[in-house]
Amino acid sequence: MKEVIIQGLSQAYSNLVHMFAEFLPRLLVMLVIVIVGLLVAYVLKMILRAVLHVTRLDRLSEEAGASRFLRMAALPSMTELLSRSLFWVTWLGFILIGISVLGVAGLQEQISRLFLLLPAIFIAILILFVGLVTANFLSRAALLAAVNAGYTSPKLLSWSIRFVIWALAVSMALEQVGVARQTVLAAFSIVFGAVMLGLAIAFGLGGRELAREFLERNLRDKKKEKYEEPQPL
Amino acid sequence: MLLSQDENLWYKDAVIYQLHVRTFCDSNGDGVGDFRGLTSKLDYLQELGINAIWLLPFFPSPLRDDGYDIADYTSVHPAYGSVQDFKDFLAAAHNRRIRVITEMVVNHTSDQHPWFQEARSSRENAKRNWYVWSDTDSRYQGVRIIFLDTEMSNWAWDPVSKSYYWHRFFSHQPDLNYDNPAVREAIWEVMKFWLDIGVDGFRLDAVPYLIERDGTSCENLPETHEIIRDFRRRIDAAFPGKMLLAEANQRPADVRAYFGNGDEFHMAFHFPLMPRMFLAVKLEDRKPIIEILEQTPQIPDTCQWCIFLRNHDELTLETVTDIERDYMYDEYATDKAMRINLGIRRRLAPMMENDRRRVELLTGLLLSMPGTPIIYYGDEIGMGDNVYLGDRNGVRTPMQWNGGWNAGFSSADPERLYSPLISNPLYGYQAINVDSQRRSAHSLLSWTKSVIQTRNAFRVFSRGSIEFLNPSNHRVLAYVRRLGEEKVLVVNNLSSAAQAVELNLQTYKKHIPIEMFGRNLFPRIGDLPYLLTLGPYQFYWFRLRRI
Amino acid sequence: MAEESFLADDFLRQLMSVGEVDLIVGVPTYNNASTLGQTLLSVEESLRQNFVRERTVILNVDGASADETRQLFLHGGGRSDTVRNGLTSLRTTHRISCEYGKAPSQGLALHNIVAAADLLRAKACAVVSPATTNLTPSWVANLLRPVYREGLDFVAPLYARSRFQGLLARDLLYPVSRAIFGQRIREIYCEEWGFSGRLASQCLEKDVWREEAVRARPEAWMAVTAIGAGLKCGQSFLGPKIAPPTGTDIVEIIRQTVGNFFWCMETNQAQWLSWSDSQPVATFGPDHELSLDGIPPSQEKIFELFRSGVGELEPILASILAQDTHAQIKAIALSDRSKFHFPLELWVKTVYEFAASYHHTVLNRDHLVQALVPLYRGRLFSFLLEHADSATEVMETQSEALCQEFERQKPYLVERWTAKR
Repeated sequence: MKEVIIQGLSQAYSNLVHMFAEFLPRLLVMLVIVIVGLLVAYVLKMILRAVLHVTRLDRLSEEAGASRFLRMAALPSMTELLSRSLFWVTWLGFILIGISVLGVAGLQEQISRLFLLLPAIFIAILILFVGLVTANFLSRAALLAAVNAGYTSPKLLSWSIRFVIWALAVSMALEQVGVARQTVLAAFSIVFGAVMLGLAIAFGLGGRELAREFLERNLRDKKKEKYEEPQPL
Repeated sequence: MLLSQDENLWYKDAVIYQLHVRTFCDSNGDGVGDFRGLTSKLDYLQELGINAIWLLPFFPSPLRDDGYDIADYTSVHPAYGSVQDFKDFLAAAHNRRIRVITEMVVNHTSDQHPWFQEARSSRENAKRNWYVWSDTDSRYQGVRIIFLDTEMSNWAWDPVSKSYYWHRFFSHQPDLNYDNPAVREAIWEVMKFWLDIGVDGFRLDAVPYLIERDGTSCENLPETHEIIRDFRRRIDAAFPGKMLLAEANQRPADVRAYFGNGDEFHMAFHFPLMPRMFLAVKLEDRKPIIEILEQTPQIPDTCQWCIFLRNHDELTLETVTDIERDYMYDEYATDKAMRINLGIRRRLAPMMENDRRRVELLTGLLLSMPGTPIIYYGDEIGMGDNVYLGDRNGVRTPMQWNGGWNAGFSSADPERLYSPLISNPLYGYQAINVDSQRRSAHSLLSWTKSVIQTRNAFRVFSRGSIEFLNPSNHRVLAYVRRLGEEKVLVVNNLSSAAQAVELNLQTYKKHIPIEMFGRNLFPRIGDLPYLLTLGPYQFYWFRLRRI
Repeated sequence: MAEESFLADDFLRQLMSVGEVDLIVGVPTYNNASTLGQTLLSVEESLRQNFVRERTVILNVDGASADETRQLFLHGGGRSDTVRNGLTSLRTTHRISCEYGKAPSQGLALHNIVAAADLLRAKACAVVSPATTNLTPSWVANLLRPVYREGLDFVAPLYARSRFQGLLARDLLYPVSRAIFGQRIREIYCEEWGFSGRLASQCLEKDVWREEAVRARPEAWMAVTAIGAGLKCGQSFLGPKIAPPTGTDIVEIIRQTVGNFFWCMETNQAQWLSWSDSQPVATFGPDHELSLDGIPPSQEKIFELFRSGVGELEPILASILAQDTHAQIKAIALSDRSKFHFPLELWVKTVYEFAASYHHTVLNRDHLVQALVPLYRGRLFSFLLEHADSATEVMETQSEALCQEFERQKPYLVERWTAKR
C-alpha cells in the first residue's frame, strides 16, 4: 500500500511537473505577448497623439463643443482621451491574445465571446458616459432653477433627476451588454413603479395631512411669497 | 395740328404760349417789342406747335407794375403799336390757327386812369364810388398784404381827396368797387370792345379780391362769383366760344368755386401744383405732386385746369407750407436776391441749374399731366434770368433770337432796350438763341417742338382722365391717361440716379406698350409686375395698345 | 453652391423700393398690436418735427407675431393724418416690414436692421421698443440727433429713474462694463438705442449672429464692437423709465445680460485686458436722474433666496469662487438679517471670479451665470437695507465708489483670467 501511495504521488508529481513544463512556455509566450503588446500600445498611443496634435483635433473639439462635455465629465482632452483609449484597447487585445495562447480549456471560447462583446461594451460605455453627462447637466440645471425660484428642497429635486437618469443609463448599458436583461428590466420597472406607487399611497392615503400641508406650503405659500422682483434694468 | 371737334372747347386742347409783346420782337428800333414785331414771329410760334397765345397787358399804363396798372382799357400802349396793329396781329394769328388770349385786369386800375383821376377829384364826383374809399384805415382789419416786400398796408392815403383808398396790390393800383353796378357795366363794355375785335379769351387778373366785406378775408366772397356768373352769361350770349381764365392764387378747393357749375370760368390756374413739381424733383419724391392732385376737386366737364411751370411773376410759394417754402428757398433761391414777396423770381433753366434732363423732365410733366399747359416765352430754348433787375423784371428780358445785335430782338442801341439782355456765357444770347437751336435737331428747341407735336397728336393728354399707379419706388411718378380706348402710360424718374420700378399694370394685361417718341415696341404686359428701368430724370410715354 | 442669405426676397424688394435714406427707425415686434400704434405715432411725429428734410424709413422686424402686429404696422396703426395746409409732411416716410424668423430674437431683429442700414446707406439708425409705453417723439430725436448731427456711432439712452429702479444695471452691469471696456455708458443694456450706418456696416460683417449671447441681447455687443473699433460712443437723456406691465424674471434677465457680458469679455479679451482707466462719454441732456420716488421692494424673500442659494449651491460655488471668497460669502450668509452687509469689495471680487471661471469654463457657462443670481440677491438685499432711507446723493456716491472698486480690482481679474488651470 505504501508503494501504491508513493507511486501515485510520484505519478501525480510527474504529471504536475509535466503540466508545468507544458504550461510554462505558454506562460512565457503570454508574458512576452503582453509585454510586446504594452510596447506596441504605447507606441501607437504616441503616434496617434502626435498625429492628433498636428491635425489640431483639440481645437476642432473645442469649437464643436465636445471639449466642454469632456471637462464637465472630468475627462481629459479629446486627443488625450483617444490616445489613451487606443492604448488600452490595443493592450487589452494583446492581453486577450496572450491569454488565448495559454490554451486553458474553455478560456479560449470565453475570450472569443469577449471579443464579440466588445462593440456592445463600447456602446454601453458610451451610454454610461452620455448618461453621466446628462445627469450632471440636468440635475445641476434643476438645482439652479429650483434655488433661484425659491422652491423648498431643491436638492431633492436635483438628486431625483440625477437618480432617474442614472438608473435609466445603467439599465440601458446593462441591457446593451446583455447582462441579466430580464432581471434588469424587471428591477427597473419594479423600482420605478414602486416609487410611483409609494408616492401615490403616501400622498393619497397615509400622508393625506402631510401631503395637504406640503402642497399648501409649496403652492399657496409660493403664491403669497411670489413677490415683485425690483425692476433690474 | 389737331382741330377741336367741338370748337367751343378749343381751350381744352390748347397749348398756350405766354409772352409780353414788349419782350418779343421790336420792329421799329425803339428798343421795345411791339405788335408788328410779334406778328413777324408768328411763323416761329406756329412751327413750335403752340395753338394759343396769352398776351400780358399791352394797354396804356405808367408801367409801374409791368402793365398791370392800366390807364386806358380800350387802347394799346403807343410803345407797342396801335389798335390797328393789334387787329393785324390778331388776324395773322387766326390765319395760322393760333388763338389769342389777352389780359383783363378787372380788380384795379392805375391811379393814372381817368376813372380814378375823376374819383379822387372830389367826394361828390360821379365816379367817386367807382373805388373803395374810407376815412380811416381800420376797415377790413386783418386782411393779408399780397406784395409784402413793398406794401405796409392795404390802404393808401390820397392827399387829393384826403381819404384812404383800398388797394390789394401796389398802392398806385386802387381797387375798383364792384358793389357799384356802374363799375361792372364799364368793365363789360371793355370786354365787349376786345371781343368785338376778335380776341378769343380773357385772363381775368386777381379775381378773388373783387369784393370786400368786414370780418372776412376779403377773398373768394360769394358776391364775387355772382359778378363772374354775370360776365359769363353775357359772353356766352353775345360771344359763344370765347374763354375766361381765372387767376386765383388759392388752394384747389377754393379755386373750385370759380368754375361754378360750369357757369363761371372756363379755366383756372392750378397754382398749388406748380411749386410742388419743383419740390418733387428736388426731393426726388413724388409725394408733393400726388397729394396736391388727390386734393384737387373734380371740376365740370366743360372746364379745365391750366398748368404751368413758370410765368412772368415770381414762382409763388403762397400755397405751400412753411416747411416746404423754407426748403424751396434753400434749394432754389440760395441768394436772397432771388426771393421776392413769397416766391422765387427765376426762370426754369437756371432753377434746373441748366440741366437739360431736368428741364425736359419738367416739360414732359407739364405736357402730360391733366390740364392745359402754358409755356412761358423763352423756356423752350432755356433762357436764363437776371435776379438783380428789380421786381420780377429778371424773368422778362428780351427774347433771344440769334447771337447777333441785341440777340436779334431789336436794331436799337443796346442801351435803349427796355431791359438789358442776358449776356453771361452760360445763358447769354450768344449761347442760347432760337437760330442756333433751330440748326440742331437735338437742341432743346427741337426737342420741345417734337414733344408738343406728340402731345397734340393725342387728345388723351388734353381731355383724358388720370390714374396714378403709385409703385413702391417713391422716386417714380407713374400714371395712366385714358380717354375712351386711348391709353397712355407716363413714367417719370424724379431722381438723379437710375431707378428700377415695378408697375402694377394688371388692368392693362395683354396690352403692348409702344414708346411714343421712338415708336418702338416694349414687352407685352403680363401677369407679373411690369419692370422698367429709367436713367436719371428720364421719362417714358407709352401708348398702350391692345391688338 | 451659393450661401443662403438671411434676407428674404420680399424684404429685399422693399428695400429696393425705398432706395437710399438718411435715417432708419427700427421697430422690433412680437405680439405688440396693443401698443404699436402709439409707438408709430411718436416715431412719425418725431421724424416730421425734427428731420423734416431727411429721407426716412420706419422698419418693422417681426418675430412671427400671432396677433395683427404686422398688418397694423403696414396698413394702419398710428398713421397721423394731421393735415397742415393740405400736406402731411415734406417727403414720403416709408414703412417696410419683414418677418425674420419663427420665434422672437432681438439679435436676429437687429441683424435685419443693420443689413437694411448698410444696403440703404443710412447715416443714422435708432431702435425703439413698442413695449415702452411712454415713448415720445423727443426720445426718437434724442437717439438720432447725436448720431446724425454730432457724428457719434453708438448712443445709449439715459433715463430718469426712481431710486430703487434698475439696480442690476446700477450695481453690476454699469460698473463692470465701465471697468472692463473703459467707457462710462450707464445703460449698456437697453430697449432703445441709436447707431451709425458706419457701425451697422461693421457689425454686419461680424460672424456672431448665431451666438446665443448676441441673439438675446445684441445692444451691448454693438457698443463693445464700437468701442473696440475706436468709434465714438455716447449717451442721450430720454425720460422716465417705466417698469414693464408684466413681472420681471430676474433669472432670465441675468442669464441674458450677464451671460452676454461675459461672452463679450471672452470674445474681446485681446482689447480689454490691457486697458485700465475708464473715460466719460459724450452725454446729451442731463447725465441721468435719480428721484426719491419708489418704495423699497419687499426684502424678506430676497434674503431668504440669497441664504438658501448659498447653502444649496455650495458645490457649484466652490468650483467657481476662490476659497476665501467663498468662505466670506458663506460667513455673511449666516449673519443676522438685520445686520447683513455684503461689502463692495467682496461683491466685486465675486463678480470677477465668476468672469474668470466663465472664461475657464469650469462648468457649463449658462449654469455658471445662473449661479450668480442668489449672490446678486444678497448684494441687492444689502443695498436695500443700507439705502432704505438714503438720499439720492448718498446712493450716487456709493454707486461711484462701486465703480471705482471695479476699476481698482481689475488687475485681480486679469490675474485670474490669464492664470493656467
